[in-house]
Amino acid sequence: MSKDSITLPESRTWREIPQEVKPRAMSPEGRRRLVMRIVRASVGALVMGGVAWAAWEVSAVVRDPSAMPDAAKSDRIRSLVLVTDGVLDRDWLARTLAIGPNATLMGTDLMQLRARVLADAQVKSATIARNFPDTLSVRISERSPVARLMAQDGGAQPAMLLVSRDGVAFAGTGFDPAMVATLPWLDGARLTRRGDRLEPIEGMGAVADLLASAKLEAENLYKTWQVVSVARLASDSQIEVHTRDGMKVVFGTTGDYLRQIARLDLLLDASSDPTRPLRAVDLSLGAQVPVAYGTAAPTIDAVPAAPPARTVAQGPLIILPAFSNFQTEAHRGI
Amino acid sequence: MGSRNTYIGAVEIGTSKVMALVAEHTGREIVIIGCGECPSRGVIKGSVVDYRAATECTHNALELAERDADERIDFVFLAQTGGHLEGFYNEASVNVKAADNMIEMEDIRTVCELAKSKDLPLGRMVVHNIRRPFRVDGRLVPTSPENLVGQRLEVGYWTVHGQEQRLADNIHVIRGFNLEVRELVLSSLASGHMVTSMEERQNGVLAIDIGAGTTDFVLYRNGAPHTTGVVAVGGGHFTNDLSIGLRLTEAQAEKLKLRFGRALVQARDKAEKVWLDGNFAIGDRQFARQAIENVTAARAWELLEVVKKRLGHAFEHDSCAAGVVLTGGAAKLPAIAECAAKVFGTQARLGEAPTWVNENLRDPGFHTALGILYYGVSAQGDRAALGRRKGGFLQNMTRLFAST
Repeated sequence: MSKDSITLPESRTWREIPQEVKPRAMSPEGRRRLVMRIVRASVGALVMGGVAWAAWEVSAVVRDPSAMPDAAKSDRIRSLVLVTDGVLDRDWLARTLAIGPNATLMGTDLMQLRARVLADAQVKSATIARNFPDTLSVRISERSPVARLMAQDGGAQPAMLLVSRDGVAFAGTGFDPAMVATLPWLDGARLTRRGDRLEPIEGMGAVADLLASAKLEAENLYKTWQVVSVARLASDSQIEVHTRDGMKVVFGTTGDYLRQIARLDLLLDASSDPTRPLRAVDLSLGAQVPVAYGTAAPTIDAVPAAPPARTVAQGPLIILPAFSNFQTEAHRGI
Repeated sequence: MGSRNTYIGAVEIGTSKVMALVAEHTGREIVIIGCGECPSRGVIKGSVVDYRAATECTHNALELAERDADERIDFVFLAQTGGHLEGFYNEASVNVKAADNMIEMEDIRTVCELAKSKDLPLGRMVVHNIRRPFRVDGRLVPTSPENLVGQRLEVGYWTVHGQEQRLADNIHVIRGFNLEVRELVLSSLASGHMVTSMEERQNGVLAIDIGAGTTDFVLYRNGAPHTTGVVAVGGGHFTNDLSIGLRLTEAQAEKLKLRFGRALVQARDKAEKVWLDGNFAIGDRQFARQAIENVTAARAWELLEVVKKRLGHAFEHDSCAAGVVLTGGAAKLPAIAECAAKVFGTQARLGEAPTWVNENLRDPGFHTALGILYYGVSAQGDRAALGRRKGGFLQNMTRLFAST
């Protein structure tokens, strides 16, 4: 007997009983479950639909760039917006970014532009964003100078660099020359080039603290400070300050700067005899303050405004030893 | 279902109570994690007669079980009983098609479909097709005869069918809770699987589940169900007889039955009296203990006689070596096992859950619900295995999407 040769009667099984029940025949809990199920199914369908739509849109854009949405199909960059906490301006930004006249917002590589901005050591951090339809927004944080120095790289002309609190030396674009003229010169520091950048000068944090304390608490003294030397900072934990009237003051980095400045102020007040001017004061020894007196006070005009630049050897960029005449005289005084 | 655990509900809508269990099915094991029980209303002799009342108590039981498990049930295995369930036996045979007389899957499929194909009366639906062992040229083959050599392949099916409306009513009660009924499991098969061992089923055993409104029985032979049946008499009828015979309310009769009822008369002294309540309150009365035992014993004997009669020639002492196993709420009636032993002329014992069942679920009232889980999961596994064998990749994918 073969199955193919006969027609088998179809028995109905309980599985043919429809399981659909009208909501009115349900209990409140059953209706609640039904609603929850519908909600879950709807949310699931919406999510699935959303994902499918997004995938289709992405694939459409990938296949056909002309299908790109309006925002992505932006026009060329028409405006640059610079937000900064310093002195750099929009012209500097335009020069730095060097964006072509036909560059479009989406066609521009933001990472590349950011690298250009950060290439200027004056810029500490930068964020670049697209503001559709045609604006490029650049937000930067700048370094503030605490000192300045003269440096000569190879055969080039000596150039003045500004030094920030974190030891980074930079050209200093856009700063007011009058403000720059008030900054003391940095001496005894060693600049080393690594690639396109200069290595940060070590110990600038201590120098910045001393200068900030002096500027804040004894501005009259700070104004007379012409050179700050870090030559003995690493070895003796001392910072030497040379004033415009030829006095050398040694500060210890382990002591309290405010106390040392107060002592200096007291000493200067106590030794106001013009015939015996102070030539050297060592504040790094705590309560004991050795001083040296001179015989005649040099005039301020005799002090050069900036040291003559000297060529340094190739390789590491060496900062010029500034004010050697002052150093010599100061040492002699002590 | 993916790798997610499945939470299965096992529901038994009985005449006296509705029982719901929640089981966590990890794919490898089943763990019972919740239980809910509610007194039944709107159900008489296993059939729903008051949809609203039956729905309310069933949903209460389901809610209790879900709360106990702290999980939501995904689908339900539902126990099925009632006097409307009937069974018949039908067998078929085919000649093996292959030239080398090796039986192929196609032969097995053909003979099975032939044995299952029998017209049912109008309004009747198949609940279970229970296959008996194959025979190859008269030789018994308990498992699959595939690749065996023979000329003639025979198989028989015990088909259990029920009234469509009654089945639909039970299903709709569960659907009212917005749960799918994934399997209908005959109560007798469920409880029978729980209280008999594999060895007993192999030797032949009769399992009788005496509920409040119905008595379900299944006779096992050669390790498989041979005959099933439902008698629309249960423990509730014992109470009813006491109520009429002693002129008591149902509640009072139930109390007397539980305290003094026996399946065999033990009291010899006709003058021995027992109190209805025993608290000497107004209305408390005395009854002859022998009268109570007479009523319950007569009813128990009659019930077991009916079962024996329904089994007819299917029950033979030689093919039922393991005897009779009794379970269900009314099986707690003292001396019911001795009564069964006398009626069937064989050994009888009270059914116990397997040792792996938790102590809290060993009461006879849980046997059916536990059996539903066991039987339902097995049936699902068999169906999945059959689907994997039958369906190709495309069919499986279609089924996957259909199930989601």
